[in-house]
Amino acid sequence: MEDLHGLATRRRYLAELQELETKIQVMSVAAQEMVEQALRGLADNDQALFEPVIDADDEVDFHYLDIEHRVVDLFALQTPVATDLRLLTALLHINHSLERVADMAVNLAKVGILAYGLPRSEPVLTMILEMGGIALRMIGASMDAFALRDLDLAFRLPEMDEPVDRLNRGMITAILPLAGDQRLLEWGMRMHVISRQIERMGDQAVDIAEQVAFLITGEFREFTDASHPESQL
Amino acid sequence: MTESMTTQDPRGGVEIRTGFAQPSPPPDPDAEPVFRARNLGVKYGNKPAVHKVTADFSRNQITALIGPSGCGKSTLIRCFNRMNDLIPGATILGEVLYHGENLYGPDVDAVEVRRRVGMVFQKPNPFPKSIYDNIAFGLKVNGIKDNVDHRVETALKGAVLWDEVKTDLKKSALALSGGQQQRLCIARALAVEPDVILMDEPASALDPVATAGIEELMQSLKEEYTILIVTHNMQQAARCSDMTAFLTVEVNEQTGDRTGILVEYAPTATIFTVPKDPRTEAYITGRFG
Repeated sequence: MEDLHGLATRRRYLAELQELETKIQVMSVAAQEMVEQALRGLADNDQALFEPVIDADDEVDFHYLDIEHRVVDLFALQTPVATDLRLLTALLHINHSLERVADMAVNLAKVGILAYGLPRSEPVLTMILEMGGIALRMIGASMDAFALRDLDLAFRLPEMDEPVDRLNRGMITAILPLAGDQRLLEWGMRMHVISRQIERMGDQAVDIAEQVAFLITGEFREFTDASHPESQL
Repeated sequence: MTESMTTQDPRGGVEIRTGFAQPSPPPDPDAEPVFRARNLGVKYGNKPAVHKVTADFSRNQITALIGPSGCGKSTLIRCFNRMNDLIPGATILGEVLYHGENLYGPDVDAVEVRRRVGMVFQKPNPFPKSIYDNIAFGLKVNGIKDNVDHRVETALKGAVLWDEVKTDLKKSALALSGGQQQRLCIARALAVEPDVILMDEPASALDPVATAGIEELMQSLKEEYTILIVTHNMQQAARCSDMTAFLTVEVNEQTGDRTGILVEYAPTATIFTVPKDPRTEAYITGRFG
């Protein structure tokens, strides 16, 4: 067979695939920075950190729409198959997951603004920050697995998600003792919303890892299944 | 249709639920093989054109043969109705079983083989006769003399051409459009009641509308016939076929001989989403051709 890499049309196509991969990593970093800054706002009780998180969502949305359009264009113009097909469908899913992560970071910031000025419970805050740190590492790990085509790393995501789920499930128990103080309870209820958002971020990272596994193996695997908890990792 | 199942993951020793959407059912793995090729090869003189193809081709399925120019797709498909017998110097190696019988056995009548295994070519090749005579002629050549009108009508209906030509059966076949001419050629093949239809680039000379007509026709024909199609159009293979065979060319560095080999043969959905062989991947993604 002849090597067709040198043909201008193929070069453009392959360059576009590469550029999309780079672009989604840039988008991932932007989304992770939003989460990180929202968590820092909560940790430092610094309201000034929340507004930039909300503003930063426009950049992520711009990346999201651009990637979506470019992937659809490639489907229409290049009829991708095999690895290219799996890469492009994975890109669509990952793009959506990262856009959701950025939206969740915005939610953290908005709830952080509402909770600002209320009394805080250090044990609950510690749980939130621990969950947030793990979720951030999960997003980073899933995107590393994507960049490196690292199947073993992708398979580790459900295991990383376990403490996030456990802390989220324990959040109510940690918040209920705050009921004696109405303002402290209000803060606790706000944190419960944040806990749920972080738990969903972990799920998005697992979804990204599932796409990585699909890209590498060609087999789509749901690593976890909420309706069949007995089969969860 | 969605299927899901639980598997044991070999890496972590844990159960993972898997699920995947299937747009169409996969080909029946237990379908009866019509042809069984065993180490099938073709030589032109001393030059090997196709080398050691081993594969089963099943009943009521459409099998697409794809691959770069010179990989032996057309040569291979012509083994299945002994068309290569007509090429001076061509030698068939290995074995082709047709419903379990050696297609190249000493007692096998090659003309009878070609009646049961019809062929449609790249360029429509109607005879310069009327629409009716194009089909009646094939019947006559094969010694079929009874119910000719009925057979002509049935064949034209089978090729989805009847409604377009039923009032003009005496019109010259050459006055038909390219797509109609190709369907007439398919009707001509159907008239002698074959078992298998071989198609060698049947739509490559047609416009997109006529191509869609042929592809649609293939889907209805596979209910009754087994179809093998050679195509350069990978999207056509992906759209139409149940199974896909990818062939490529191996060049002998000493002699410069170019020989076609079968690289991968699998359900079409597998070939176009998760090909196993890197040569298949390189070809269908357009990196090599």
